[in-house]
Amino acid sequence: MKNGSFTSLLAGCMGVALSAALFAVPALAADKTVKIGNVEPLSGPSASVGVQGKQAREMAVEEINAAGGIKSLGGAKLELVYADSKSDPTVGVTETERLINTEKVNLMTGCWNSAVTYPATQVAERYGIPFVVPVAVRDTITERGFKNVFRIAAKDSWWVRDQFRFLKDMQEETGVKLKKIAFLFENGDWGTGFAEKWRELAKKDGYEIVLDEPYPSTATDLTPVVTKLKSANPDIVMLVSNAADAILLTNTMAEMQLKPKVVLASGGGHADPTFLDNTDTNALGIFDEVEWNTDVNKPQAKPANEKFKKKYGYDLTGESVDAYVAMYVIADALERAASTDPAKIREALATTNLTTGPGMVVSYDGVQFDETGQNKNAGIVIVQVANVNGKPERVTVWPKAARRAGYTPVFPANK
Amino acid sequence: MTAVIQATLNGAMMGAMYGLTALGLTLIFGVMKVVNFAHGSLLMVGMFSAYWLIRLTGIHPYLALVIVPPVLFVFGYYLQDVVIKPVFKAEGQVREPLTVIIVTTGVWYVLDNLALMLFGAEYRTVRTAISNKSFALGQYIISIPKFSGFVVAILTAVGLAIFMRKTKTGKALRATSLDREAANLMGIDQYRVYNIAFGLGTAIAGIAGCVLIPFYYVYPSVGVVFDIRAFIIVVLGGLGSIPGALLGGLVIGLIESVFSQFMASTWTEAIIYAIFLIILFVKPSGFFGHKQDW
Repeated sequence: MKNGSFTSLLAGCMGVALSAALFAVPALAADKTVKIGNVEPLSGPSASVGVQGKQAREMAVEEINAAGGIKSLGGAKLELVYADSKSDPTVGVTETERLINTEKVNLMTGCWNSAVTYPATQVAERYGIPFVVPVAVRDTITERGFKNVFRIAAKDSWWVRDQFRFLKDMQEETGVKLKKIAFLFENGDWGTGFAEKWRELAKKDGYEIVLDEPYPSTATDLTPVVTKLKSANPDIVMLVSNAADAILLTNTMAEMQLKPKVVLASGGGHADPTFLDNTDTNALGIFDEVEWNTDVNKPQAKPANEKFKKKYGYDLTGESVDAYVAMYVIADALERAASTDPAKIREALATTNLTTGPGMVVSYDGVQFDETGQNKNAGIVIVQVANVNGKPERVTVWPKAARRAGYTPVFPANK
Repeated sequence: MTAVIQATLNGAMMGAMYGLTALGLTLIFGVMKVVNFAHGSLLMVGMFSAYWLIRLTGIHPYLALVIVPPVLFVFGYYLQDVVIKPVFKAEGQVREPLTVIIVTTGVWYVLDNLALMLFGAEYRTVRTAISNKSFALGQYIISIPKFSGFVVAILTAVGLAIFMRKTKTGKALRATSLDREAANLMGIDQYRVYNIAFGLGTAIAGIAGCVLIPFYYVYPSVGVVFDIRAFIIVVLGGLGSIPGALLGGLVIGLIESVFSQFMASTWTEAIIYAIFLIILFVKPSGFFGHKQDW
């Protein structure tokens, strides 16, 4: 096993060296380039998101280079250098080392998996190379006092924070007061982690917790849980579910004629493409939290999504949007740094305040890093399943600035 | 109190269906003395058959009950004849041919992966005329698909019991289950009986598939979820016992549903396994099982 991965690493290195040799001459002949190292899961269990991120980066870099590159550097072009992490932290670390030492990249981005990003950013910090993390949600990635780590996407704890912000905003908007809240979550790491933060925030916001229930996501029958939910009689039901149980819960709730005023899910199973196919009209009214949705009301979002879809055959995803934005943040920082010196790039990144430009396809107002390197504007989108042209569809409703034009959220969803 | 009665009703309906999924397993075990590890996969085949039949032709889900089980009977009949029989023949002198267990495990993997290859890993449900419909019984809500499943499960168990007692084939099945050498000597073709037993077990998995599909989703490894329950039920009710399978199913369904009202539902799973272990210690033959003399 060890031998095998060593051989493949060696083969990978040779491949990179060979392609570097092939492209070395034209690269030298052209204008100055800025090398961006990308560690991404391009094979292994998370390969599909890795590829999404890669394609979004390539589209952004193409656009930036076509628009004249980095003007303050004499029109320097951006060049992406990839390394495959295979979702393995050890590989992520060695590849980051290699990109910095051998490839001499000017800055780094990646790595999607929190488990890879955490140690990889540590390597970059040691070498003083700026590291832009488009997405990897573990809170602690930007909470270690590092100077060179900047994250675009919202962190883990903000997902829950935004769920409660949404509830508060909607109650203010509609004048409906809701009090009783129920938590229902799969009993894995993900569900129990969310529930822990829910309890805290629900207490802070003055909700009455009427049910706090983990369930096994492999259950054959969720009627017992729904029965329990029914006798708890909550106004709001908050869910963390995988795909199978999300489907089963939604259908069982319809069957048991349980209609809470608000059902608020946390992505995952409820965002799975098979969810709407299998629940159809039973899902109407459900709110779900996602990183991004294709209909966010931002002028750049629609053309960017159309272009991406034409190029790669599918819609932009949360992951790819973060990667796309990251490239524009980097270009903006390089423009202001007017240098390829990592220290100067770092200074420019720290003072980023990007609110316009083609990269602003996100639901929130802009990118601006706090002292820990976290984008303080980063936020999440809440969608509602609504009947659009006779078919259930996910419609962005929150934040209000990103809400689909002409749509009024149904809140409460059931009276 | 309302919730407890509601939970009891749900538990009984779901439990009868668990019993139905275990019925085929217990039948095959009773006659052939083989723990059929492919049983969950046969259930999956039943669910996919019902799924595609309803999806493609749009017929009422309970019309599928007339079509899917006979087809699955033939499938099971020839599966035993072609795949399992040769192993039996090779180990003719052995009472509990272990190799057959390995063969059924092989069938499980082949069927699951075949389904994965053909249909992909996603979850599929089919929207039918009765999906998510329910009626009110006083203040209690009864799901129509689950209630129908409950009725079908009881009818299947009763029908099977009558078949085993009254028909000549049923008697041959029982004779073989008691002593296959003696049955052979009486002119019963042992392998034909095995074919029929396996076919019946598969057909019952088909019935279960038809009643599950209006409210449950199907995917290639769906069998595993039901398989574990079916094994517990069969041990609980007594290996080879038809009323035992039904009762065992009811017990599991009720525990799952009623206990959930008083504790986190993650706990009921642990309780079910605990009861399984206790039964194994206290009465290994289950509720209705007789001491095996083989």
